[in-house]
Amino acid sequence: MTEYLETFVDKFTFKVATDRFYNAEGIWAKKEGQHVRIGLSDFLQQRSGDVAFAEVKPEGTALAFGDEVAVIETIKVNISLSSPVSGKILEVNPDMETAPEVINQDPFEKGWVAVIEASDWEADQTRLLDAPAYLAKMKKAAEEEVNRG
Amino acid sequence: MTEEKSQHKVVIVPCSGIGKTYGTVSREAAYALTEDVRPEETQLVALSLLVLGDEAARAAVSANPAVTIDGCKLACATKMVKESGGKVAQDFAVLDVYRRYKQFKPQGISELNDGGLQLAQALAQEIAVVVDTIGTATPEGGQNG
Repeated sequence: MTEYLETFVDKFTFKVATDRFYNAEGIWAKKEGQHVRIGLSDFLQQRSGDVAFAEVKPEGTALAFGDEVAVIETIKVNISLSSPVSGKILEVNPDMETAPEVINQDPFEKGWVAVIEASDWEADQTRLLDAPAYLAKMKKAAEEEVNRG
Repeated sequence: MTEEKSQHKVVIVPCSGIGKTYGTVSREAAYALTEDVRPEETQLVALSLLVLGDEAARAAVSANPAVTIDGCKLACATKMVKESGGKVAQDFAVLDVYRRYKQFKPQGISELNDGGLQLAQALAQEIAVVVDTIGTATPEGGQNG
């Protein structure tokens, strides 16, 4: 069962799954055997708002670290998601096409975006944040947003 | 709002979210429906009146089937109708409707762009179908539209 770190900012609660890594934008990467599953963090999905559409690059697409892997349209913004891992897209979550709101409902599990066949995970991992480091970063960002009103 | 009127019209309760695009779409759709598309069969009840406990507004939702239009997942319109003693015949969420009309991307707040106005019209037409179906029949539990 996934374990979470949790923090509170103003009236909001944010969870950070401890079994994966994060890029600076809040895209998580979870190693699963030879593959890496990716998705949005709880903070990123809450900050972005309800997802209307998710367009993920098709299976077979080759990605370098930081390449755009998907575009998410929410009620607030359009956001480009940068891949936290280099490699090739093996699988896209079919819910992204039919029920993208699953990103909001369950960002760390059912709301996964894609599975990547990683080409250099060891190197990519060094460029990512572990859960405590990401928690500190997202908490600071959340507090800044709250203070801006 | 007279009692006689409220007995013969489907009540439309849109989101009251100010400063939110989807809230504005919900209200534009409600205006289009109650003023142009089905003026004889519907009546608009402001969510704010229900929040304030306005007697005429509460009587309207108690005595008639209600269709709610929510701008976000907080679903304030739907919740408030239920708390006011009404029954929601059908609830609509603007985001769900937008997913069916991706070409109508809403933008703007006090003044919607063309996409937002078109989405409001599409939503009004969808609600009109529901209004024609439920008429003045006793409302049942709602489903999300």
